[in-house]
Amino acid sequence: MSTRRTHGRWLMAIAGMVLALATPAIADDPLVYATIQPPQIMLGESAMFTITNLGDGTAPITMPVVSGLKFEIVARTRQIELINGTTLPSYATVVRVTPQMAGIFTIPGVTPKSQPVVLQVNSLPGSGGALRPGSPQAPKPPPILAGGSIPKGVRLTEDGSAYVRMSVPKREVYVGESVPFEIEVGMRSGFVTRIGLPKLTGDEITLNSSLLREPERSETMVDGQAFVVLTWHSALLVVKPGSFPLSAVVPLTVKIRTRPRRESALDDQFGDPFWQNFFGASVPKDIDVESPPQELKVMELPAAGRPADFHGAIGTFAIESDISPVKAEVGDPLTLRMRVVGSGTFDRVDSAMLDHVEQWKTYPPKSTFTSNDPMGHKGEKVFEQPLIASKPGIQTLPALSFSYFDPIAKRYETAHSPPLSVTISPSLADSTQMAPQLAGNAAPTSADKSADGLKPDHAPSDISMSSLIPLYLQPRFLALPSLLALAFAAAWVGVRRRKNPAERVAARDRTAWRATKRALAQMEAAARADNPALFFNSARAGLQQALAARWQLVPDEVTAAEVQARLSDDDDIHQVFAFADESRYSGRDLDSTDFARWMRVVRQRLISTQSR
Amino acid sequence: MKNGARSAAFALGLALMAAPVHAESAQGFSAAGLYNLANAYARQGKPGMAVLNYQRASLLSPNSPDIDANLSYVRASSHVPAPTRSRFDRVVRIASPFALSWIGVMGLVLVGVGALASALELRHRWMRRLGVLLGICMIGLTVANGIALWPMLHEGVVITAATPVRVSPVPMGDSLFVLPEAETVNIAAEHEGFLLIQTRAGRTGWVSRSNVASVVPRR
Repeated sequence: MSTRRTHGRWLMAIAGMVLALATPAIADDPLVYATIQPPQIMLGESAMFTITNLGDGTAPITMPVVSGLKFEIVARTRQIELINGTTLPSYATVVRVTPQMAGIFTIPGVTPKSQPVVLQVNSLPGSGGALRPGSPQAPKPPPILAGGSIPKGVRLTEDGSAYVRMSVPKREVYVGESVPFEIEVGMRSGFVTRIGLPKLTGDEITLNSSLLREPERSETMVDGQAFVVLTWHSALLVVKPGSFPLSAVVPLTVKIRTRPRRESALDDQFGDPFWQNFFGASVPKDIDVESPPQELKVMELPAAGRPADFHGAIGTFAIESDISPVKAEVGDPLTLRMRVVGSGTFDRVDSAMLDHVEQWKTYPPKSTFTSNDPMGHKGEKVFEQPLIASKPGIQTLPALSFSYFDPIAKRYETAHSPPLSVTISPSLADSTQMAPQLAGNAAPTSADKSADGLKPDHAPSDISMSSLIPLYLQPRFLALPSLLALAFAAAWVGVRRRKNPAERVAARDRTAWRATKRALAQMEAAARADNPALFFNSARAGLQQALAARWQLVPDEVTAAEVQARLSDDDDIHQVFAFADESRYSGRDLDSTDFARWMRVVRQRLISTQSR
Repeated sequence: MKNGARSAAFALGLALMAAPVHAESAQGFSAAGLYNLANAYARQGKPGMAVLNYQRASLLSPNSPDIDANLSYVRASSHVPAPTRSRFDRVVRIASPFALSWIGVMGLVLVGVGALASALELRHRWMRRLGVLLGICMIGLTVANGIALWPMLHEGVVITAATPVRVSPVPMGDSLFVLPEAETVNIAAEHEGFLLIQTRAGRTGWVSRSNVASVVPRR
């Protein structure tokens, strides 16, 4: 047990030495940090911002400045802190932070090395149920401001807690003209708890989206009181002619006093929401604050002198153009740029650039706008159009133009840019003409490192061709084999035709022989069936076929009369034709001997006819 | 005699192609000229144009070892993979397309004469049949050469470094990928100064016509 205690003391001693050695490093580098408590408060409350300096207190501390936050030093303290067993003096500065509006505020670091802190200020909930001024339950609060001078154009609310001022540079405008304006909302410190987006009166007026941006914040004194001023910059556009009253309306939630003035003399003395909140002397109320109305006269654009390419741009503009690159090859894309610089309705600044240009392929342009002010009223619009040259040489692009209406000069203007020249060289992709020059100039040199492994050049050849397309795919050459094929085909057909008469006779003989065989087969069948009519009919048909082939007649033309005329000496054939006719109308009986005899006679005649 | 017939055939072939329809035709193409031009481009550090002209020279002289060696060397220097030649390709490109054109014509003559002899029923049937068979083989070799060369006739070579391949045939079209110089691509279509290409890896897109040169120049 004693041994363990001894070991524990040794360990504590070693740890203490290590900490003692580490401490100077901390002490040498003074640590300054800031905290805020609580990090989230309601509007009207205050937070404590404590800056702690662990060191000799000589490190420079910069009091932060945040628009919308009020910093007040309420105390400075000196303490001794024990860090890692070492006592260190610490100096703390306690600052009361009072927000003047709702939002999330970032308080920058008090030294370059210290971290920023964030304070979230929420607006008061349930303001809709607040007492209304003028209601019987709520006594009318005394005005916060009494008497004194107020800047020109500022009309404070009844309780003096806020004002709205609208500034329009001109009162006579044209339909579609973009007019910049400014809305300034002044809020007495600590009296406005919520603010909405300003809006303009009148349906004929449209606003651009710049009103949705964060307003500028500043502080000013109005009649001896601190006011936080929010300023919106935007541009309005009127869509129809006429005269319109123009004013801005801003919804606000303000805190109104619920106690008599004499009971809140201390509050007024300090004008401090911290004390008002502390004593519970005010309630929130929604009000609409409107700027004094101004008359705006809107005129139609003149119809006379309107250029054909006018697209509705109103303002003051100038144009310039360029093309890049100024040297290119055929087929290379170039970019033609037209810059429209000035102020006015850039939404309506449009151009088709170049449409159809000889020897150029043009594409639709695209545009980008860069604004020089928050309203988008001043700036530069750049049109970029891709172009491709189709022929080499020095090409001149025609001048570009842009038409607009100048509201100061009250007339239409057309700005022109000078024509542009571009040098277009033939494309490498299409060029084979450089072959001799390049090949002639391209003797390998020691500097050509890439050529080290190349096989040497060949001796020039006299044989050259007009095309790299294989000869057998060229129409002119294809005519030769086509003609040859036609010639051979014609010759083959000619030879076949010359051999045709003999072939025709042979074919006819083959046909006759087939008919003869068929007739003999039918006769044999008829003889077996003991059918004399069929027998002689078959015999006659066979003889007709054979004789027709021999006499070059149609078989039907071989009749008994024809046979009589041509074969007067052949009684057997006459009798066959006669028996065929006779057996059709009168039954004639034949015995097997007769069938055999006539069979032999007809076969003999048919064979003899075929052989001739 | 043999040289005389060859020269006559060559002269006839040139005469058939003689009429120039384009400015390039006046100058003409030769394998040696294209090879030397490719060497010149290679020495100037233009691998795209070098590969293009080696490929053109290879069309006229398909079995030149110097052309193949320099083409492989320039491709390797540019870190562009070389395509492999199939056995079919090597066999059917045994001679130049010019020579094969005349071989095809001779084959046609043999087939025609054989057919006529058969029609006339001349003697030596085996000689007739051998002639027809030889003619068919010669015509087949020419046709096979055309089949093998057909893809090459539609190829192009990237002649500029880092050529953007776009989704559409317009200069401001979004870029899909970038082609290295000296890469050989297949040209599928052309539209208003842009070529629809397909790489050996199968990727397709549009490139400006000034960035890719056709192996066989368009007329």
